[in-house]
Amino acid sequence: MHNGKHPFLHDLHKNRTKWLMLLPAAIVVILMCYIPMAGIVLAFKEYNYHDGVFGSPWVGFENFQYFFKSGKAWLTTRNTILYNLAFLCVNTFLQIACAIMLSELAGKVFKRITQSAMFLPYFISWVVVGAFVYNLFNYEFGAVNAFLKGIGAEPIDVYSNKSAWPVILIVASAFKNVGYGTVMYLASIVNIDGEMFEAADLDGATMWQKIRYITLPSIRPTIVILFLLAIGTIMKGDFQMFWQVTGNNPMVLDVTDVIDTYVTRSLLTLQEFGMTSAAGLYQSGVSFVLVLIANYIVKKVEPDYALF
Amino acid sequence: MFSKLSRKKRGIASLLVLSLLLVTLCACGTKDSAGTDSQANTNATSEKQPETGTEEKQDGEQAQDTASTEAGPDISEEVTLVMYLIGDRPVDNDEVFAKINERLKAEINATIDVKFMSWSEYEQKYPLIFASGEDWDIIYTADWCFYNAQATKQGFYEITQEALETYAPMTAETMYEEAWEQAKVDGKVYMLPMNYKEITAYVYMARGDLMDKYNITSVSSLDEAEAYMDAIVKNEPSLIPIDVGSDYDKLFFYDRMWKKANWENNAAGNEIISEIGPWQVMASASEVDGNLTVMGDFDQETFYDVITRLKDWRDRGFWSKNAVVNTQNNTESFQAGKSALAMMNGNTAKSVYASVSAEHPEWDIRVFDAQDGVPPVLNSYLANGMSIFSKSKHPERALMALDYLRNDEEINSLFCYGIEGKHWEDAGEGLLVSLPDSANYAYDSNCNWGVRNDANWRMIEGGIPNLAELNSAWQESAESERFQTFVFNDESVKNEIAALGEIFNTDYKLLGLGFTDDLDADIEKLREKMEAAGAQKVYEEIQKQALAFLEAN
Repeated sequence: MHNGKHPFLHDLHKNRTKWLMLLPAAIVVILMCYIPMAGIVLAFKEYNYHDGVFGSPWVGFENFQYFFKSGKAWLTTRNTILYNLAFLCVNTFLQIACAIMLSELAGKVFKRITQSAMFLPYFISWVVVGAFVYNLFNYEFGAVNAFLKGIGAEPIDVYSNKSAWPVILIVASAFKNVGYGTVMYLASIVNIDGEMFEAADLDGATMWQKIRYITLPSIRPTIVILFLLAIGTIMKGDFQMFWQVTGNNPMVLDVTDVIDTYVTRSLLTLQEFGMTSAAGLYQSGVSFVLVLIANYIVKKVEPDYALF
Repeated sequence: MFSKLSRKKRGIASLLVLSLLLVTLCACGTKDSAGTDSQANTNATSEKQPETGTEEKQDGEQAQDTASTEAGPDISEEVTLVMYLIGDRPVDNDEVFAKINERLKAEINATIDVKFMSWSEYEQKYPLIFASGEDWDIIYTADWCFYNAQATKQGFYEITQEALETYAPMTAETMYEEAWEQAKVDGKVYMLPMNYKEITAYVYMARGDLMDKYNITSVSSLDEAEAYMDAIVKNEPSLIPIDVGSDYDKLFFYDRMWKKANWENNAAGNEIISEIGPWQVMASASEVDGNLTVMGDFDQETFYDVITRLKDWRDRGFWSKNAVVNTQNNTESFQAGKSALAMMNGNTAKSVYASVSAEHPEWDIRVFDAQDGVPPVLNSYLANGMSIFSKSKHPERALMALDYLRNDEEINSLFCYGIEGKHWEDAGEGLLVSLPDSANYAYDSNCNWGVRNDANWRMIEGGIPNLAELNSAWQESAESERFQTFVFNDESVKNEIAALGEIFNTDYKLLGLGFTDDLDADIEKLREKMEAAGAQKVYEEIQKQALAFLEAN
């Protein structure tokens, strides 16, 4: 404004160090997120290799039709949301519980070892976890049935038992993700001012009281933000997990089918990139709405922690 | 102090918002970044091409080779061609290809780098490599292996008559006229079909030691297979009778029974039932007095009987209770000693027989005809072939390389049978003997089927003892399927086919393996689902096109 300088340019000059620090992140985001976003057009096109993404002919909303044709759109959307909600709640609870437990532990070496051991499954691929599950529950050769037969009990057929799968999936997800989240919560617990605990000790607070009145309130912002971030991915269903751990088992699809697995199965022999993009766009659209809703609720309850 | 802190937090929060939004939106963006990449690739290719035709810098030996074909294509630039095959890398693959490359380097200044995609994942991987922007040149293809789908999406390089004559003169000369015609999609050719007349017939491979133990003399019909598997399931608790269920063999027994039921039906009555259209729409054509009706398999009377029998077999434990999540195919399980019976294509049986009987002579394995009276299929030439990627940087050189792979006797034999003197020995009269090392590069099993050539073809001597007998019986009865060369154009019903594909991969697969507790209810459920997904519309479209096809032929 004054000196004829544009306010943005002025800010750019004044806070140049901060802008410079922002630059790498901005470049990554633009390159990896904004530019590929143009590919959304594919959802409305009949793709062929020759004309490429932008040259292929437009087909309107035709690519979205198949999704609703077989009547599975609602079932898969429901499964996707419910599973992710369950993962979110169970994992968050376990992560916080483990983090508090670890922080209360005394032995430093033991603490480190436990932490690493819990973190390890995060690096195991779902293909391998799927193999674990298969080798545990295979009817003829599985470890569980071998044990059952060994003690003279009837073998169980897990792969055709619908009620077993939500449990297996939730346990598998916890197995893989709890360690990772624990470390994040642990970091935020370590940052709590030690004087508060000392004061509480002087006042004669028990361990439970300290957890209840100091630790939990102090890590609340972390919990809320991680929770909100997770809401954003709630529609994405961990494809690898649902595909590999269930072995793409048609017997229990009603309870294990999520949007990604459904799309993969129906397009496996068709290679219609337009249809795949349409499903992706549908997922992103619903996620976006969910984030808005979640944020709205947070804003009502805890205005300070709302994302926007 | 507090307000300052919370403002800071809000700052962080709003940054998080931004990243969160981006993450959300990214989801749909990333899916096609590959597509963008490959587009960039084409541009690069087209810019690059003009450069490659100018300089001549050959060393002595190569100059001599090229001298003879002076007017021929320019091969001054040394290139490495990437070739995709389906299957697992044979142990001696690299050794064999080192020899092939030695020749190719001398002839056309190119070498081939082979990549493999395994049978268990090819359905997923095959379409992906076209879209991934990966740089490759040659791929195995077939009418059952994405040829039409990729050709209509312009995934393959068009092979014109001129290109064939210029770059693949030997092929131009030897190619069967019908093969060239069959390969046409909308009048254009995208594949070099095999130069080989092939029959698809199925065989059972059974354990002789177990057959003797339970007094089974033959396993060459569904009934005899049933008796054998029954003996296994009752007496050999550590073995699964047959370990089917993977993507590859999930419908093996269904197919056997279905084909037999239809064959009997066609032979007896005045109705002719034949399979038609893409696999996943589960359609069959019924002709009564020359009137054609296309309908779902589940509407044929025989369907019910077939599934009833499959259910019975599954209930008796002929295959695993977890068959639907199998990732190993029945031949692999058989080789690993987990199952007592295997079913396979007669053409693969030779190499499986050779390697299993070498590894486990005590099993005394025996091979039986699994056709059970049904005439084997005289394959179209498109049952095996090789294509060039439409975005290959060196399509001409790839064509030249294929010319040598197909027609040069030495290279062709290397690819098909391995190294002479190491993997096989000439036995005269178009026969060969497999040597012990063939376990590391088995006869006719390195996905070399696309370059099979009747001119160089050798049968295995002393392989399966009754092979000659089986072959002659098959040769006599083999016939082409009624709608073998019918190509369905799915443009107007793509959404329906996608929806049907889902049903095919779930409900149909379950029925095809006999997994049902209430047959009538499940068939009814299948019918309802198929109808809701628009099956009728697809069948009408197939019928329309089939009528036009019959008229034209």
